[in-house]
Amino acid sequence: MSVVQRPGDEPQDELSAEVISGPTVLRILLGGQLRRLREAAGITPDRAGYEIRASRSKISRVEHGRVSFKERDVADLLTLYGVSDEDERRRMLNLAQRANSPGWWSKYDDVMPDWFETYIGLEQATSLIRTYELQFIPGLFQTEEYARAVTVLGHRSASAAEIERRVSLRLQRQRILTKPEGLPKVWAVIDESALRRPLGGRDVMRTQLCRLLELTELPHVTLQVMPFDRGGHSVAGGSFSILRFAEPDLPDIVYIEQLTGALYLDRPEETDHYREVMNSLSAEAEPPAESRRQLKKLIDTI
Amino acid sequence: MANSHAWQVGSQEDNLLYKYGDSGSQRASERAAQMVSEGAPAVGDTAPAPGNAPAFDTSVAHVARVYNYWLGGKDNFAADRAAAQQAMAAFPDIVHSARANRAFLRRAVTYLAGTAGIRQFLDIGTGIPSANNTHEVAQAVAAECRIVYVDNDPVVLAHARALLTSTSEGATDYIDADLRNADEILAKAAETLDFGKPVAVMLMAILQHISDEQDPYAVVARLMAAVPAGSYLALSHPAKDIHAAEMAAMANRLNQTMAEKVTFRTKSEVAPFFAGLELIEPGMKNVPDWRPETAEEASSPAALWSGVARKP
Repeated sequence: MSVVQRPGDEPQDELSAEVISGPTVLRILLGGQLRRLREAAGITPDRAGYEIRASRSKISRVEHGRVSFKERDVADLLTLYGVSDEDERRRMLNLAQRANSPGWWSKYDDVMPDWFETYIGLEQATSLIRTYELQFIPGLFQTEEYARAVTVLGHRSASAAEIERRVSLRLQRQRILTKPEGLPKVWAVIDESALRRPLGGRDVMRTQLCRLLELTELPHVTLQVMPFDRGGHSVAGGSFSILRFAEPDLPDIVYIEQLTGALYLDRPEETDHYREVMNSLSAEAEPPAESRRQLKKLIDTI
Repeated sequence: MANSHAWQVGSQEDNLLYKYGDSGSQRASERAAQMVSEGAPAVGDTAPAPGNAPAFDTSVAHVARVYNYWLGGKDNFAADRAAAQQAMAAFPDIVHSARANRAFLRRAVTYLAGTAGIRQFLDIGTGIPSANNTHEVAQAVAAECRIVYVDNDPVVLAHARALLTSTSEGATDYIDADLRNADEILAKAAETLDFGKPVAVMLMAILQHISDEQDPYAVVARLMAAVPAGSYLALSHPAKDIHAAEMAAMANRLNQTMAEKVTFRTKSEVAPFFAGLELIEPGMKNVPDWRPETAEEASSPAALWSGVARKP
């Protein structure tokens, strides 16, 4: 799973896993470690699959963190890969156990498609979220009323109860902005149109903009406004986010939400391009201090 | 979009699985290394003028991103990784050296904010934010410290503005200026710093980007003339006379792959930067030997002359 090996990199151990919360990332982490161990032992995916009474593609899914682990399978694989050190085995099994415990968001299964659950799992474990939004205020910054207006737009036929569940999920996600430790940095570039489109009406929008202004007071939140007259040439596509993890071994993940699913990119050839675009956007957008001034002006005129 | 490179969730196709670290990433670095060996990205007529390569242009290695790679960061691109690896092939200890330089920065700022009681910092050549940035170290000692970061690159500055945020008691500001324009830096920094009170001027591994023809000594002298008695200069500079052969080979490679050219200097060439100032103990040293706090720090390989000096 490692991206580029460099001299001076410390070998990964369980310590770095300690700082990560959320089963999605733990699964990816454990899967990557199992893959490295398997390759180091010179064992094919077919052979490993046979050992745990499963197919080659199951091994592939396990190593990519797509599925949860049976502890017995992990133990059998470790034996097959020649890992006999008791401490190391215990560390890996402990990781498997934690990777299997559901995140708080699992109770929203009813209103959350799988692809979004994955996103939330990743989002909860990030150290830095960079996001570019053309249409809406980013989900992490939305007020309850604004979130409700957006949700109703997207789910016109949903019952009132379902809408409330969705809004509640969105507000729960925002807890990562105030959790006691391991706060991620959130760095957003928001297009002026998203700030001007009065979703939910002028009052809702004014409250939303005031909330944004408040959030910019937080040291770990950065907001940059992209004025109408700038930035057009940087983005051929639309909104996207880049998630970064403290874990040195985990690559950045680009997240692009579509109408019926989401796209996750993690290969350097692709994520480099999005990072480049995000860098251009950040350099072109108003700096944070000027963005705050513009936000205040917008609030006065809305 | 829906090719095997993507992780398309919702798809049942096995070949669209979330793929980590298989041959894809390795191919990228191999290809990048190959580009460098062919001289494609940087060398030749199309290379931008020294110091004018914006970080927008990711096809050419950029000093801030190469440094980021050595420090284990993720803010680098194929050309940067290739250039960094080329340099590592010439001087494998550059990774330790870069990290030892960051450790020197931390110790120097801790000394300046602590023992020396400095509350104002002018940090020129900020680079991409890393661990233990100047304001974090200084404000951990005294929350009211004011720090002005200076860089000449718009993307580096955008990162600094977003990620190097001050305590509420203190202040951070970010100036878009080139070290060669000391007067511009001083004029803009005066909006945040009080030049009637002592200032620590920090030049960490940046003066190598100013050639002898551009007179780096005059630049430093101009900066130090603008600050009052009791101010400090904290400086590190890649050494020409430590691991001399490897450093010369690395300089050659960097000058082929990066837009910003480098001039490494000997101890006697670095010493004049401190002219008229009083070096504090232990004087000019290779970075690990400047007040190391642990045996591990002291034993790190490195090749940078460093010192902290007070203006009398």
